[in-house]
Amino acid sequence: MIPAIETNNLVKRYGDVTAVDDLSLCVATGEIYAFLGLNGAGKTTTIRMLLGMITPTAGEAIVLGARIRAGEKQPWDAIGYLVETPNAYPELTVRENLDAIRRLRPGTDARAVERVIENLGLRAYADRRAGTLSLGNAQRLGLAKALMHAPRLLILDEPANGLDPAGIVEIRKLLRGLADEQGVTVFMASHILGEVARLAQRIGIIHRGRLIQELNVDELERNRRQRLVIRARDNRAACAALVASGFFASVTQDDLIAVDDARAIENPDDIATRLVNAGHPPTMLNIAQEDLEHYFLRLVGMTNE
Amino acid sequence: MNNLSQSLWVEFLKARRSKMPVLTALGFSLAPIVGGLFMIILRDPEFARRAGLISAKAQIAAGSADWQTYLGLLAQAEAIGGIILFGLIATWVFGREFADRTVKDWLALPTARAAIVASKLIVVAAWTLALSALNFGIGLIIGNAVALAPAPIEIFWRGGITLAITALLTIALVTPIVFFASAGRGYLPPMGITILLIIFAQILAAMGWGEYFPWSVPALFAGVAGEHTAQLGASSFVIVALTSVAGIIATFVWWERADQQ
Repeated sequence: MIPAIETNNLVKRYGDVTAVDDLSLCVATGEIYAFLGLNGAGKTTTIRMLLGMITPTAGEAIVLGARIRAGEKQPWDAIGYLVETPNAYPELTVRENLDAIRRLRPGTDARAVERVIENLGLRAYADRRAGTLSLGNAQRLGLAKALMHAPRLLILDEPANGLDPAGIVEIRKLLRGLADEQGVTVFMASHILGEVARLAQRIGIIHRGRLIQELNVDELERNRRQRLVIRARDNRAACAALVASGFFASVTQDDLIAVDDARAIENPDDIATRLVNAGHPPTMLNIAQEDLEHYFLRLVGMTNE
Repeated sequence: MNNLSQSLWVEFLKARRSKMPVLTALGFSLAPIVGGLFMIILRDPEFARRAGLISAKAQIAAGSADWQTYLGLLAQAEAIGGIILFGLIATWVFGREFADRTVKDWLALPTARAAIVASKLIVVAAWTLALSALNFGIGLIIGNAVALAPAPIEIFWRGGITLAITALLTIALVTPIVFFASAGRGYLPPMGITILLIIFAQILAAMGWGEYFPWSVPALFAGVAGEHTAQLGASSFVIVALTSVAGIIATFVWWERADQQ
């Protein structure tokens, strides 16, 4: 099957600054692919190259089988997109904004506007001027513009931006449904790993313009570090006792003892016994999995550990 | 052109829903109103002084309160005011997409960018032509209201044609402003360029080179510096046409080729 998105050694330079560096990735049809990176990592530049908004300095992008060039007419009828912040014509109503985009997408059913208003929960705001919308509703309008024509590929930049927790769950369900039921491919950029890990099947991590890791969600689970987290009446004394026993223990910023040794994680009962014998019985002992944000920051070298 | 009619519909909707058409119409209506005021002053300077329209010390320039002078004033206002106001309209139609950050919504659509750019240019042309017609229409009403002496129909024809050609010359010169609104990605660069062009137009016209500088040509044609037909050769009109075409080509090429950040 032809991949929905394929980039080969994609490069974008602005003078001396390399925004995207030798990026090669492949997104399978029907897949939900999360493109993760810190602000300024090159996510939006990549999306703009995928959408033909900017021309690569080198390399190529192939989307839905078409090599992307600036000003090309294909394959935009099958793509829905949201780039950066969701903006709309402020003096037009939500319905008029959607109708304007519908008219610029020939062949889109006139009823699609009402349908997408309903699906994105915008009914109460349909006749309100876009300039008066909250950030969350503006985001819904941006997503509605991307979804209205039932595209085969969705390219979304920070789709949960500005949404409240209920809205995030709602959009997650919507995107999951589109992928599962209609085979829509979703390529979504985000800087929040915890958010995309709940939805994506595969995650590509970009840092300083380079793709530093691609992994499936189950690989992500395996790659995350585990550690033994302990609390005692006197954490510093208990930590010193563990260090004296040869463990890599430290007191964390939130005043807990963290032990990273595999033998401690595999034998927490042994640790408990040692602490009791040292006169510092644990009041809490838990095997904790490294949180997603910490994993992400560790991967991009933004932590000291 | 790919989906031009729908694109035009969208562009006219955006223009209609904004306050800009009303504001520009109000702005351009000042030209015939001020022209009418001049007619009152010229016809009876003593009355104007007594009524406080002008200072008691004011020296009234030579001129007469008749339709020929009044229509000439309208054409001159079209040339000078038009460069500013039409430039503002072009700046708004194109620059607002950057200011409102909506431009990205129409860069990867099945409707060609060229069709959207063409629609915008058509809206600018229709809008500026409508304002020019408004200038003439209000001029006729105000001319009647201030009771200018009846004139032969040829005066109106000649005045109308001069105003129409002045309008077309001024509108044609909007296309480079459109390019600067696009490449400058907003409002300030094109407005700055417009002001600069007006200054150059004044200076070069004063130096006697105005017939070769496109932005001086409409005002010279309208008779700002005297009888227009004596001053302008065919080369002036060709220069305006070439400038306009260059603006159109540069705009289309920019939208097709330039990176859209």
